[in-house]
Amino acid sequence: MTQAATPQATAARLERLFEKPAAQQRRCIIRAVDVKKVYRMGNTETQALRGASLDIFQGEYLSIMGPSGSGKSTLFNMIGGLSKPSSGKVYIDQVDIAQLDHNELAWLRCRKIGYIFQSYNLIQVMTCLENVTLPMSFAGLEGDEAREKGIAILKLVGLGHRVLHKPSELSGGQQQRCAIARALANSPEIVLADEPTANLDQKTGAEMIELLAKLKIELGVTIVSATHDLKMLKRSDRILWIADGRIVKTARPEEIDFNSGEFH
Amino acid sequence: MTQLQKEIQDQVRLPAKVALDVVLQGIKIRLGRSLVTIMGVVLGIAFLMSILAGQLAKEGVSHESDLRAEVGRMMNFLTAEAGPLNERVVGVVQVGPLSEAENRFVKAILAQRPKVQWATVGGNAKIPAELAGAVQAVAVDQVGKEATAVVVAGDGPAPAVDWTAILANARQKVVGLARGTAAPTSAPAAEMESNSSTSSSASASSDAPAYTTVNLSRQPRPEETAAALKEATKNRFRSTWIITIALAVTVIGITNSMLMSVTERFREIGTMKCLGALSSFIRQIFLIESSLVGLVGGVAGTIFGTLFALAIYGFTYGFLLVLGSINWGLLGASAVGSVVVALVLSVIAAIYPARFASRMVPAMALRTNI
Repeated sequence: MTQAATPQATAARLERLFEKPAAQQRRCIIRAVDVKKVYRMGNTETQALRGASLDIFQGEYLSIMGPSGSGKSTLFNMIGGLSKPSSGKVYIDQVDIAQLDHNELAWLRCRKIGYIFQSYNLIQVMTCLENVTLPMSFAGLEGDEAREKGIAILKLVGLGHRVLHKPSELSGGQQQRCAIARALANSPEIVLADEPTANLDQKTGAEMIELLAKLKIELGVTIVSATHDLKMLKRSDRILWIADGRIVKTARPEEIDFNSGEFH
Repeated sequence: MTQLQKEIQDQVRLPAKVALDVVLQGIKIRLGRSLVTIMGVVLGIAFLMSILAGQLAKEGVSHESDLRAEVGRMMNFLTAEAGPLNERVVGVVQVGPLSEAENRFVKAILAQRPKVQWATVGGNAKIPAELAGAVQAVAVDQVGKEATAVVVAGDGPAPAVDWTAILANARQKVVGLARGTAAPTSAPAAEMESNSSTSSSASASSDAPAYTTVNLSRQPRPEETAAALKEATKNRFRSTWIITIALAVTVIGITNSMLMSVTERFREIGTMKCLGALSSFIRQIFLIESSLVGLVGGVAGTIFGTLFALAIYGFTYGFLLVLGSINWGLLGASAVGSVVVALVLSVIAAIYPARFASRMVPAMALRTNI
């Protein structure tokens, strides 16, 4: 109040006022607090994570970067409810995963999280539709209802004409589309994508990124991906660097010089 | 939390059908390996079943030849005392249900075309339906009339009758005892020595009515029985041992190929776990797969084993004898037993691989080089 109302200052103040409450209103869907993970192999201990904290908000598109051995996969596994931290807390949708037994973790994976893998991991003996309805049957949805929902999701990802094809009869991009449809089967709030474009050519990879961005907007899902794909990084809301078991940097894509050395 | 627990319960129960589908598709795609596993079960169970069926065939054949020998001996003893029976009159006193040997003996007598007078004594004695048309039912005191011989048969106490009076009108006074136990009460005790095939009462008493008792049955000597028992025990131990080894090898074979199947499917299992499959679902998949293998292999093995054993014994002793004498009821029971054994062993063999698979961490699916 006492300061002079320069246009720059007003703009900065307005930005603070409007952005901060908006950020607070957004639900924090994944929260990690000082997470440490130690792997024991015989007598040697390996510290994969040395205290990582982060918040991931609903509807966010977050990319995680990091060299191999940085703890990226470990953090990724914990966000996905695939393993528990040695110390610290991981909350997925306000639930501390350390308190869940393995059945409850399975329940969490089934309904809250969709997985997309680098090598698709479709079940080869099943058709596209069966691949999509499989997680539905784990959630107790079967029969015509599951089939209709499966077909609707396959149409959404642009695979409506390949419903009864087996994965081996599809191209890489189509297989990844099917995998994305499978990840969405139980309407999860979080989609975890592990290098989803690494096995695809440039053009198909770009299509996949567009599809994920479209789903993020249309369905409001939170997307967390581990990736080195520049196009994907540019599309994300936030980028996270991990090195040596710690989160070393968080940035928005527009703040980053993509031509710098760290991306090559 | 209760809602969550209920949903988890549902998650356990519902996908049993899905598990079956996954297994069937898995078997289809990995048909070659499944066939090898099934062949292992087939061989093990075929071996078990061939031994069981062989034993039954052997027992059937030896029982049949024992029966034939016994009937032949009875016939010989009777005709040695009474002479040829054709066109003569033979009396039968039935004191109880007939044994298989007695039944055949009576039929052998009938085959010589005598006139048969049949008397029943006691409540348990009933003329067999198949013989009723061929014999003439009479009262017990009429049984000896014109008779060349009177035969006492059936499982029961000796008839309390006066043989002297019964045999008064007989052509020849001969009493044939089909069993040593059914001794005529009026006969002197001294005549009933075991193993004496014939004895004459005429010489025993001074002026007793002259009639001859012929002991038609032959009790095996104790040392013979003991030797047979020892031999049977030895055989049973030997075949039990061999069967156990064969089945253990089968179990290990199934376990081995199931473990292979688990490692082959690491990624698939990990993916399913990521998609929300419970450990119990993964366990189910392997247990169902293995019970299907056990069922198919068990049925095929049982059929092969039975055919093999019957063929071997059929070529050795003649198919008519083997197929006619084998105890079909016991054979059926053994077949059902073998299939059950196959099923149980397959499930036992799959317990370890199924646990191994279900404890796998889902993060496996994220690793690409498996």
